[in-house]
Amino acid sequence: MQLSRSWMVIGHVVLLLLCLSVLLPMVIVLSTAFKPMNEVYSSALLPSAPTLDNFGRLFASTAFGWYAWNTTATTVLRVLGQLAIGVLAAYAFARFAFRGRDAIFALVIGAMMIPQVLTMLPIYIMMAQLNWFDTWWALIIPNLATPIAVFLLRQHIMSFPSELLDAAQMDGAGHWTTLWRVVVPNLGPALAALTIIIFIDSWNEYFWPLLVTESPQSRTIQIGLREFLQEGMNDYGALMAGIIVASLPAIAMFLFFQRRVMDTFVSSGLKG
Amino acid sequence: MVDTALSNAGPDARPHPRGGLQRPLAAGWAHLRGRAGTGSLVPWLYLAPTLVLLAVFTYWPLIHTAYLSLVEWNLNPGQPARFVGLDNYSRVAGSNLFQAALGNTLVYLAASIPLKVLLPIPIAVFLWSLGSKGHIYRAVLFLPTLISFVVVGVAVMWILNPIFGYAKQYAAMIGIRMPNLMADPDTAIWVIIVVSSWKVLGFNVLLYLAGLASINRDYIEAMRMDGAGDGTIFTRLIWPLLTPTLMFVLISTLIFTMQQVFTPIDLMTQGGPSNSTTNLFYMVYQYSFVTFDVGGGAAGTVMLFLLLMVMALVQLRLIDRRVQYKQ
Repeated sequence: MQLSRSWMVIGHVVLLLLCLSVLLPMVIVLSTAFKPMNEVYSSALLPSAPTLDNFGRLFASTAFGWYAWNTTATTVLRVLGQLAIGVLAAYAFARFAFRGRDAIFALVIGAMMIPQVLTMLPIYIMMAQLNWFDTWWALIIPNLATPIAVFLLRQHIMSFPSELLDAAQMDGAGHWTTLWRVVVPNLGPALAALTIIIFIDSWNEYFWPLLVTESPQSRTIQIGLREFLQEGMNDYGALMAGIIVASLPAIAMFLFFQRRVMDTFVSSGLKG
Repeated sequence: MVDTALSNAGPDARPHPRGGLQRPLAAGWAHLRGRAGTGSLVPWLYLAPTLVLLAVFTYWPLIHTAYLSLVEWNLNPGQPARFVGLDNYSRVAGSNLFQAALGNTLVYLAASIPLKVLLPIPIAVFLWSLGSKGHIYRAVLFLPTLISFVVVGVAVMWILNPIFGYAKQYAAMIGIRMPNLMADPDTAIWVIIVVSSWKVLGFNVLLYLAGLASINRDYIEAMRMDGAGDGTIFTRLIWPLLTPTLMFVLISTLIFTMQQVFTPIDLMTQGGPSNSTTNLFYMVYQYSFVTFDVGGGAAGTVMLFLLLMVMALVQLRLIDRRVQYKQ
């Protein structure tokens, strides 16, 4: 479709402005992170002599290294668990007929509609009773079930040609073997896409770690940044360096898998 | 490719349709394999982790919260919870905090319709008209979706810093004195609204682009031949065909907005100044974990739950219609 010339001009101007609103803050953050300490408060857009000092101070004089480690480790463990548990449930919904299947499926999908805020008090009490408060357990275990993973993977498994799975079982393969030898290898693209969104989701998580983490042994990057901001950390150079570290994984994934990331976010309805 | 150790039992290992637990254990686990009948235990084994986790961490807490909303407790294990009936509900509903939170929630929701639901439409139509040439715009607009709101919030606080922020310095260059937006009860909520709209803009543009992709461009050429202008094509063709997507974006954005602004509220204003930015979600957090008023927090949660359920039911109906429309 071809818009008229004047609409084209207006459209490009508006979009350039919007893109500027995205890119300018990024440039400001980037440049501040690489500015030497005495330039951090100047309004110059670029550092005169870029330096890594801010990153050095960030890791040397705060617990940020621990926060980064906690976030990375718990996110990786959590995502692996989420994928495994999601694949199992998706396979059951896609390949078995059993009594109450549709009702159970509705309960699983319905859980997507329930935001964490509604369940936080009892889970918080539970974590305290289990002595999981301020540990990795609290970050990982309550988040292992992933309705969106069950939903997306079930759709993909159902779209497999049934000959493929039936042939495997004709050869005498049980469900367990079929699942890991036939289904999972063919789920590659779906699993990759899902990994990206649940990884970013977990990495960026704010609400739950805010409640259950307290010390450097479990606190995550996002909550660490909040702590710096609210405790009036005046070292804005280091703070901007922290922002960059916190954003790196998501940005890197986006650069590598741009199309897929955008498509998956849209089809899953997760708004980040 | 099939594991021989597991497949050597051959076709004999096929389970009886009503196999399950009645089969003697001597048959080993063979009955767990192959195509399971309706009464089989097998699917439940695959479902067990998901169902147990959802029961423990989603559905049971909902019931437990309903109970907590009827007691007075301060999260201290040494202190017994005291049953107070519906007192928490009337206390919360009558509080200044609740009224501020409810009013602000309505402001957040109302403002999100033009900014998050309608504004992306012309942008999507323009990008759609560009075809694949618009890809770079799409990619840049999508970036804020991926970055955490903490990162965005910290950057905004830095840029708007009342003493040495970039905004103040650049405004001074053109002779404007930058007000302290975050300290003013009238403006702080708008900073959060604008930033949260900015963050979700690219995502909603993509949703509309997905809706536009189903419109056959031949119709547009045909309308052009008949002398239709851009305006006519938009109102007569694009808008009606985009309506199902619009309804979906509308409801999902309204539900999402209530949760989305939690992070910037907590990070940038903590509900202040003088309760001008708190919303129902943040209020529940304030009751539960700022003042440790468990009963009040739980009562607020139940009220919020009812509100969200109504919105979710509307959404479910709309998704059904959308699917039918696509077929």
